[in-house]
Amino acid sequence: MNLAEIVDSQSVLPSLKVQNKKQLLQEVAHAAGKLTAIDHRVIFETLLQREKLGSTGLGHGIAIPHGKIPTLTRVYGLFARLAAPVEFDAVDNEPVDLVFLLLAPEHAGADHLKALARISRLLRDHDVVAKLRGTDTAEGLYAILTEPAATPHAA
Amino acid sequence: MARTMEQIGLINLGLLFLAVLILVGIASSLIATRFGAPLLLVFLIIGMLAGEDGPGGIVFNDYRLTYLIGTVALAVILFDGGLRTRLAVFRGSLLPASLLATVGVVITAALTGAVACLVLGLSWLQGLLLGAVVSSTDAAAVFFLMRAGGLQLRRRVAAALEIESGTNDPFAVFLTIVLVELIMLGAQGSSLDVVILLLRQVVIGTVAGLVGGYLLVQGLNRMALPSGLHPLFAITAALAIYAAAAAVEGSGFLAVYLAGLVLGNRPARAFPSILSFHDAATWLCQILMFLVLGLLVTPSKLLGYLLPAFVIAVFLIVIARPVAVWLCLLPFRFTAREKAFISWVGLRGAVSIFLAAIPTLSGVANAEVYFNVAFVAVFISLLVQGWTLTAVARGLDVALTETAAETQRVEIDLPGQTNLEMVGFPIIEDSPILTRPDLPSWIQPVMVARQEKVLTWADAKALNPGDYAYFLVPTERAQRLDRLFAASDAIHSHHPVAAFNFTGDISLDELAAAYGLSVPDDLRGLTITEAFRLRCEDRIGMGDRIQLGPASLTVHELEDEDVKQASLEIDEVELPVASTSALAEFSLYGRLQRFVAQLAERFNPTKPSAGA
Repeated sequence: MNLAEIVDSQSVLPSLKVQNKKQLLQEVAHAAGKLTAIDHRVIFETLLQREKLGSTGLGHGIAIPHGKIPTLTRVYGLFARLAAPVEFDAVDNEPVDLVFLLLAPEHAGADHLKALARISRLLRDHDVVAKLRGTDTAEGLYAILTEPAATPHAA
Repeated sequence: MARTMEQIGLINLGLLFLAVLILVGIASSLIATRFGAPLLLVFLIIGMLAGEDGPGGIVFNDYRLTYLIGTVALAVILFDGGLRTRLAVFRGSLLPASLLATVGVVITAALTGAVACLVLGLSWLQGLLLGAVVSSTDAAAVFFLMRAGGLQLRRRVAAALEIESGTNDPFAVFLTIVLVELIMLGAQGSSLDVVILLLRQVVIGTVAGLVGGYLLVQGLNRMALPSGLHPLFAITAALAIYAAAAAVEGSGFLAVYLAGLVLGNRPARAFPSILSFHDAATWLCQILMFLVLGLLVTPSKLLGYLLPAFVIAVFLIVIARPVAVWLCLLPFRFTAREKAFISWVGLRGAVSIFLAAIPTLSGVANAEVYFNVAFVAVFISLLVQGWTLTAVARGLDVALTETAAETQRVEIDLPGQTNLEMVGFPIIEDSPILTRPDLPSWIQPVMVARQEKVLTWADAKALNPGDYAYFLVPTERAQRLDRLFAASDAIHSHHPVAAFNFTGDISLDELAAAYGLSVPDDLRGLTITEAFRLRCEDRIGMGDRIQLGPASLTVHELEDEDVKQASLEIDEVELPVASTSALAEFSLYGRLQRFVAQLAERFNPTKPSAGA
C-alpha cells in the first residue's frame, strides 16, 4: 500500500502549534473534518475514546492516533508536524512532535490494519523521521511521506 | 619394556578413538537438529556403527566399564535434573508427578512385564524385570527433545513431565535392582525381604540426598573457593553423595537427585556457573552414555529379538504407558488431551538400556534378553515418539501459541547482592527487544558490548543485532526476559510493525472490535491479563504472545503477576494470510497435526478443546 492512496498534499500540516494532547487531537480532528466532510466533534470523540484504551504514542516522539468512523467511505490519513513537542503519554514518556492521524470506515477490515502497519513502519525509519523533522513545508513533507519504500523488509 | 610401550600406545589409541567418536557425535548434532531427528538416536547409531557389526568393527563387551560410565553419567544427569527443578514453580504438580513417578512406573512395569512373559516365555519375575527396565521415562530424553523442539508447554503439563521424568529414574533403577536381587535370591527370598530392601533403599537414599544436599550448599556458601572450583566441587560432591548412599545400600540415584533439588532451591554461591557447567557436563554424559551403549550392543544379535521387542515396545507405547498415566492422573484435573500428550512423551532413553545392562553384570540367567529387548524398545520409542513430539504437542493443542527458541542468557552472580543479578543477552535478529521502544521498568541496563568495545547504555543509544547487552534484574525474574531476546517466529514471518500499548485490564473483545480482529473462543469475555493468565498458566513472561489473526498481543510490561501493559502489534503481511496456512495444509507435518487432533477428538468428543 502506498501512502499516496490515503494522504494528499492537503492533508499535511507542516507546523501545527498546540499546547497539549487534547488541543492536538482537536486540531487534527478539525482538519480531518474539513477533509472528509464529517463533523469534527465526532472525529475528536472517536480519537479520545481510543486514547482512553491506551496511548497511541509509539515512542521516539511519534504518535498515530486512529479510530473508526462509521460514515467514512475510505481510509483517510492526515499528517501533522508540530511546532513544539507536547506530552502524549507515549510508551517511552517522551513528548510527541510527529503525528499521523488515521481514520477508517467501520468495516475497513484489513485496510485499516494495513494502513496502520504501513505508517508505523515508515515512522520507525530513523532517516525518514529525521527528514520529516527537518522539513517545514507541506510539499516537502508530502514528498517524504509518499516516497516509495526504499528497502522492503529483509526476510 | 616393549610391553609397557605397547600398552601405552593402545591406551592412546583408545583415547583417540573415544575422542573422535564424541567429536563425530557433536558434529552430527548440527545435521540432526536440521532434520529434527532425535539427537540421542544419532549418538546411539554412531556407537553402533563404530561397534562390531558396523564399519568401525570394534568389539566392545565390557559391561563393567559400561556400568561405571553409565552410573557416573546417570548420577550427573539426575543431579542436573534436580538442580533445574524449581519447587516453587511446580508446587501444584508435585503430587500428580510423584504418583506418575512411583505408581505409574509400577503399573507400566507390571503391564509390560505381563506382555513380556507371554511374548518371550519368561517367568513372571523375569517379565517384571524386563518391564521395570523399560518402565522409566527418560528425563534426559524428555528435557532434551522438548528443548530441541522449542516446545513451550502449558505449565501444568510441562511440570508434571519434568518432575515425573526426573524422579522416576531413581525409582526404576531401584525397582530393577530389587528385582535382580530377587531373581538371584531365587526361592529363598520372602516378601518381607522385598519390603525391607525397598524401604532401606528409599530411606537411606532420601536421608543421604537431603543431608548431602544441605552440606553441599553449606560448603559452597561457607568455603571461599577459587572461582573456577565451585562447579567442580558441586559435581564431585554429587558423585560422593551417590557413592555414599549406594555404599550403604541406599538408592544412590534418589540421593543424588534430591541433593540436586536441595542445591537448586536454596541460595548458593556461584549457582549460575554451576548450572552452566552442568549444562556441558550433562551433554557429555548423554553423549558418552549413548555412544557406549551403542558400542555395547551387537546389532546382529538384535535381529532375533526384533519381533518380540517390537510387540513389547508397541504395547508399552500404546497401552501400558497410557493406562498408567490415565490411572495416576485420575484424581487430578487433566484434560484428555493433556493425558494423551503425557502418555506420548513417555520416552525411553539411555537409562533403560543402562538398566538392561545390570542383569548381565549381576550374572542373571538369559541376561542378554533384557539388554537386546530394551535396546530395541528404546530405539523405537526415540524414533517414533521422539520424532513426532512437537507435531503431537501441536495436534493435541497442549503447546502454547508460540514456541520459544532458546536464548543464550548469561547470568553473572553478584557477590554481596542476593536479589539482583546481572544477565547478559546476545542481541539477535527478529527478537522482540529490537522492536520495542523501551525496556521493561524492572530491569536496569548496565552496558552494551559492541564490536569489542564496551559502551554505557547512554552511549549505545539503541541495540543492534550482534550486540551483547547486560542488565541488572531481580534474580527470580531473569528467565522471564528470555522471550524478549529470542528470535521470534512471529516477528520473522509476520513483521509486526505497529505496536500500540494497552493496559492489562482492558477487555479483549473491545480491543478486537476496534481493530476488526477476532478473539479466539477460549479468550472471549476476558481482559488482557486474564487472557494471558489462561494461556500462560500464571507464569506470564515478558514477550509472551497471543496471536489474533493479522495482529498479536504481546506482554510489554509486568507488574507482579499481572500484565501491566500489553502491546498490540500489527503484522505487516504483504502476502494474504491464507497462503501460509495453505502451505501447512499440504505438508506432512500439518497433516500429522490434524490427524492427531482428530484422534484426540474421537477419544474425547464431549470435552471442549483446551485451547484455541
